[in-house]
Amino acid sequence: MKLFFFFTFLSISISIFSQLTPQNGVLKSEAEFYALENATIYINPSEKLSNGTILIKDNRIIKVGKSLNIPKNAVVIDCKEKVIIPSFIELYSDIGIPKRKRASNSNSIKYDRDSPNSLYWNEAIHPETNAADLYLNNKKSNESLIKKGFGFALTHQTDGILRGQGALISLGTNQLILKNNLPASFFSFEKGSSKQRYPSSLMGSIALIRQCLYDAQWYTNNNFERNLSLEALNKQISGVLYLKTRDKLDILRAEKIAKEFNLNFNYIGSGNEYESINEIKKIKSTIVVPINFPKPYDVKNPYISRQIPLSDLKHWEMAPQNPAILSKNGVKIAITSKDIKESKVFWANIRKTIDHGMSIEKILKALTISPSISMGLEKEIGSLEPDKIASFIIYNSDPFKEETTVAESWSMGERTVYNRKNKSKINGKYIITLDDIQLPIEIKGDPNKLSGIVTYKRTIDGVTRDTSSKAFVELTGNNITIQFNINNTELIGSVNLRGKINTKFGVFEGNGFLPNGKWIKWNAIKSEKNDKGEPNKKNKFYIDTSNYTWFPNLSYGFKEIPKPETIIIKNATIWTNENEGIIENGMIIIKDSKISYVGDMNHPIPKLGRIIDAKGKHVTSGIIDEHSHIAISKGVNESGQAISAEVSIGHVVNPEDINIYRQLSGGVTAAQLLHGSANPIGGQSALIKLKWGYPAEEMLIENAPKFIKFALGENVKQSNWGINSGRFPQTRMGVEQVYYDAFMRAINYSKEWKEYKTGKRNKIPRKDLELEIIDEILNSERFISCHSYVQSEINMLMHVADSMGFKINTFTHILEGYKVADKMKEHGAGGSTFSDWWAYKYEVNDAIPYNASMMHEQGVIVAINSDDAEMGRRLNQEAAKSVKYGGMSEEDAWKLVTLNPAKLLHLDERMGSIKAGKDADIVVWTENPLSIMAKVNYTIIDGIVLFDSVKDVELRENNYKEHSRIISKMLSKNNKGDKKIKFIKKKNGHYHCDTIGEEKSTTENKH
Amino acid sequence: MRLIFIFINSFFIISTTIFSQQHEKILLVDGYLHVGNEKVLKTAAIGIIDGRISFIKNSTAYTPSASEWDTIIELKGKHIYPGFIAPNSTLGLTEIDAVRATRDFDEVGTYNPHIRSQIAFNIESKIISTIRTNGVLISQATPRGGNISGTSSIMKLDGWNWEDATIKKDDGIHLNWPSSTSGGGWWADPKPKTQNKNYETQKSEIYDFFELAKAYSKSNKKKKIDIRLEALVNCFKGNKRVYIHADELQQLVDAIDFSKHFKLKYPVIIGGYDSHNITRLLTDNNIPVMLKRPHSLPENENDDIDINYKLAYLLQKDGVKFCIQNEGDMEAMNARNLPFLAGTAMAYGLTEEQAIKSISLSTAEIIGIANDYGSIEKDKSATLFVSNGNALDMRSNQIFMALIDGKFMSTSNMQLELYKKYSKKYNNKQ
Repeated sequence: MKLFFFFTFLSISISIFSQLTPQNGVLKSEAEFYALENATIYINPSEKLSNGTILIKDNRIIKVGKSLNIPKNAVVIDCKEKVIIPSFIELYSDIGIPKRKRASNSNSIKYDRDSPNSLYWNEAIHPETNAADLYLNNKKSNESLIKKGFGFALTHQTDGILRGQGALISLGTNQLILKNNLPASFFSFEKGSSKQRYPSSLMGSIALIRQCLYDAQWYTNNNFERNLSLEALNKQISGVLYLKTRDKLDILRAEKIAKEFNLNFNYIGSGNEYESINEIKKIKSTIVVPINFPKPYDVKNPYISRQIPLSDLKHWEMAPQNPAILSKNGVKIAITSKDIKESKVFWANIRKTIDHGMSIEKILKALTISPSISMGLEKEIGSLEPDKIASFIIYNSDPFKEETTVAESWSMGERTVYNRKNKSKINGKYIITLDDIQLPIEIKGDPNKLSGIVTYKRTIDGVTRDTSSKAFVELTGNNITIQFNINNTELIGSVNLRGKINTKFGVFEGNGFLPNGKWIKWNAIKSEKNDKGEPNKKNKFYIDTSNYTWFPNLSYGFKEIPKPETIIIKNATIWTNENEGIIENGMIIIKDSKISYVGDMNHPIPKLGRIIDAKGKHVTSGIIDEHSHIAISKGVNESGQAISAEVSIGHVVNPEDINIYRQLSGGVTAAQLLHGSANPIGGQSALIKLKWGYPAEEMLIENAPKFIKFALGENVKQSNWGINSGRFPQTRMGVEQVYYDAFMRAINYSKEWKEYKTGKRNKIPRKDLELEIIDEILNSERFISCHSYVQSEINMLMHVADSMGFKINTFTHILEGYKVADKMKEHGAGGSTFSDWWAYKYEVNDAIPYNASMMHEQGVIVAINSDDAEMGRRLNQEAAKSVKYGGMSEEDAWKLVTLNPAKLLHLDERMGSIKAGKDADIVVWTENPLSIMAKVNYTIIDGIVLFDSVKDVELRENNYKEHSRIISKMLSKNNKGDKKIKFIKKKNGHYHCDTIGEEKSTTENKH
Repeated sequence: MRLIFIFINSFFIISTTIFSQQHEKILLVDGYLHVGNEKVLKTAAIGIIDGRISFIKNSTAYTPSASEWDTIIELKGKHIYPGFIAPNSTLGLTEIDAVRATRDFDEVGTYNPHIRSQIAFNIESKIISTIRTNGVLISQATPRGGNISGTSSIMKLDGWNWEDATIKKDDGIHLNWPSSTSGGGWWADPKPKTQNKNYETQKSEIYDFFELAKAYSKSNKKKKIDIRLEALVNCFKGNKRVYIHADELQQLVDAIDFSKHFKLKYPVIIGGYDSHNITRLLTDNNIPVMLKRPHSLPENENDDIDINYKLAYLLQKDGVKFCIQNEGDMEAMNARNLPFLAGTAMAYGLTEEQAIKSISLSTAEIIGIANDYGSIEKDKSATLFVSNGNALDMRSNQIFMALIDGKFMSTSNMQLELYKKYSKKYNNKQ
């Protein structure tokens, strides 16, 4: 049914077009048939015809094949030596679409949309935008796409999160917009030109898309208030969806949304999909990959080049293989020319892709059939089979093999000639005969920019030498002009020649002037056959580097992802964190990712397994960081709203943060990745294990308890912003009311749903992601980790909690916890604090390093956390400070970074101590872990050895070798004169509690 | 009146007030002495008269006569260290990072050699009281910002005012070498850093300024005094140091060229992240390095993960003169962790005594106060502290007593006071 529909609408729409436009004058004269003969024809990706003919009637292909019967009334076009390729289809384009206009000209950031109307509340959501309404012919950009080989472009306004509907343009003289009843619409995670503060982070964009999709579902049943945005979105949902990404991880993130809403996104890729091929290959839909491969860096200065991150170098090397790797793994890909301006570069990159293992067949498929299938138009466009639309490009030679030019473009039967006569390749050496004088000339260069060198003998002071002078050479059609100056005994001055070319014989002949004014006949005969002008057809040899992808693809990445092992740790001093205390000369057996035995050495050991002799070493459970902001992509704060419960760090875990490895080297095995502290109610946490080399989904702890970040004090009231941003709250007084308001709303919300579910209410309430999460807190399904400093606010929040019927699970930072430890104990709140930080802002004036000890003494469960990528790898040292400040016992001090955070995170059933049955998250230390001398020998997570101090040396070696291998490769490109770019140093930024926006901060941490 | 203190293991025995100077003849016996110059004496007898060390002997071979001393302190099992020195620090120039009114370290202007930290040094800073209780007794109050931030001074961390806290006034100027990479935007809108196109220009600007100052320093009769250039005169004369803040390789080699060009007598590199690559160049030119805070993350993804931990060892191994400093995030309050920075350097290759030296004698030598401070040797100032255990380890860094110029220093601080106050709250409850 669907297919049939497509088949008809296009043919109708096209024939109607000509009827819709009134003619000025009599009807345009058209031939009934066109026959293109003697061409090499790529009929479709798998069929190539040499010396073939295409027969066209109106806008369709009638026949294609060898020795066809050509109707007598056909116009015959000779395409000898030419190559015909079906028009490519560009899926990502904004051709002919103006930039988005905003409702007001004000540039200031704001919280509400410019003027409330019947559109969605957030200006980044504008599915009602329709490219067809906005499209304006732009011949120049049309032509630029045609020169790249494209005949169709799906254009849209590339701005915002829900960008609206695209329009399929036929890029010819007529520039038609094709009817497309199955709308193609565009999504992204980028806010674009909207000046609204929300969303300010990637996780905010994800939450906004989800909320919007729920709103659209709800709207169908509740359309009393009209909303044009949601109406448009509801229409689009059943069509084709494209989601533009900035990283392969975005694709995996979007897949989660797709699953939640049963949608099918196609993706506009970013070019690094190969780095996560194991996950990407599971994607069923089409990925539109760019081929604007990174240019080599300028690496001549070694002082600079040594600073280039290995990840950038590796990507530079691997990027041209992205299409091939995806294809080999069965991913459906289309190719976009996005971000490539020049057709020359586009084609050079196409050929580079071929050199890197992609077959022409697959490339052609990715440029024609795949995009047409993804839009459901495969019956109409994408190949040159009979009955298909006659849209193709005629090239002067095969662009898949060498650089060439476009001779003609045919757009839905409309012919545009760019290079009417083939500019023959006339390069080579000739002998020009002028009367009786013979001069050798060499013609060089591109057919459009030829030049020549004339050689002759010249005698000065009795010495005769070969001299050469430059010649102007121009070929227009089959007319050639040659002009040069000469100075020898026979001729002095300018020689001007004009003539015709006879390509068959490689001969020029014509007339011209000699310097003496004599009008002569001339000719030029090829003196030697040039090598057909093939540009350095050397055997290109590319090393297949497809197995050079590391996991993750940066420094310290693994060549192969390590797997769980059976491990026996012998002769160890074991800090069990259990009643057994510290076991001297003990043994641990790890099997199936769990601890299967801990105790003395009198126990049978498995036959197979790695044995670690830990004589003289100390073994502990892994460090758990209750408060961390590493491994997060694009934004740790959703600062666009004071309450952002709907956002989740779980959506934006970044498994490629080098700090994961650095922290493994400090014995950290698990962490709570918290939302920042910009909002009284922040976002949901991600509880992860630091499984370096594994994808984000596998880092997330399975069935982890749910957590959310709350925050109090200076950060949420934006005290240190210098200006009053106008966002509520600006005082601690306001903060209290934010909570009351939010929880009241959540109570009402859940009441409405209860009423609806029990039939007391007819209308379905709107699903509100924010209130649902707050409701989870009220139902004790979600725990709170609250950023807090001074006793007044700590006290306040416990009062709010008590009166609204929920609990504060953890106060984090809690630097004045020692003042209210008794109250915390009574409420049942734990404290996760810094060992000794203070003096960084006013609210930490009374912070004391005895805090952990004092809270501990009052019976509060206390953890020491990092909130800092650097300190995160020295949490053992930080724990040891509690021995100094307050005289905590060593075993208790060690629990501050292991068992206690596990308890605070409700993970102590699985982690935090060494006990049979618990997760095998184990660290082997060179000595007492609280000692300043302690270093890590092994960090094991779920039985996987992820850090090994011996292997670490090997990984460093790999870094150096790989770095210098690729640098020398780049250097050879530099020396060849390839385009290069100046090194851009990646900022060594980190997320802090108060980092606003998607980018990391390099300024001081305000925590 | 003669007092004999036999301090047993009582942490708070020295009360909160500074002892008025009644103890003029102090004898420390039986402590484990870490001299600061890599030497140790396991049972040391240290005589202190009028604030100076009069002798160091082996306790086992020395029987003190009680009448010669007004104070004798038994230190069996305890460790004696020279007062640690925190160089290149805004300690005393700032109180609360986020409160602008309390920040006094960054003056307007690009070339500010005349800006002097000494007079802004707040000896009553609450932070200072928490720094010295970990054994850090001296700091180099250092301004920040601009190409030349200003002139630092060496300060004791105890005293009534900046005048009597001063050990060495105007010890050197601080030159921030331009970075070979630039850009970066501001914190809310960071842009990627790129190769600094203006590097050569910025470099020659510094050369020009120094040429100007050099010419000025040579004129005998000055028609008018230029306070800015005047501040550099002593740098050329050789009695003021030039501290060059530089980390990247390009900066370092250029900074060394610069020192040679102007024949600077006491150039010092501060930072030196890449210094391990040019150890030969540094030793050949006899240029010391104040190392970047060991507790920092590597600059580049590919760098060794422990590069900052082991940097001290890499320089030690190749014979470069160095000490450890603590510039960075929350540097004022963090100065109390200086012993643990040295401790980390010890874990990554230095011997214990080398690690101690890197925050005591080496620092004193580099900043030019080694005649009086930095080690516990005869005739030097009695600026030292006693810890119950290894002061470079968090667990055993427990200050038992401390002397600055022979005066007993308070071993309490406002944090300890709060600790006591709230401990009382809970103890009373029970």
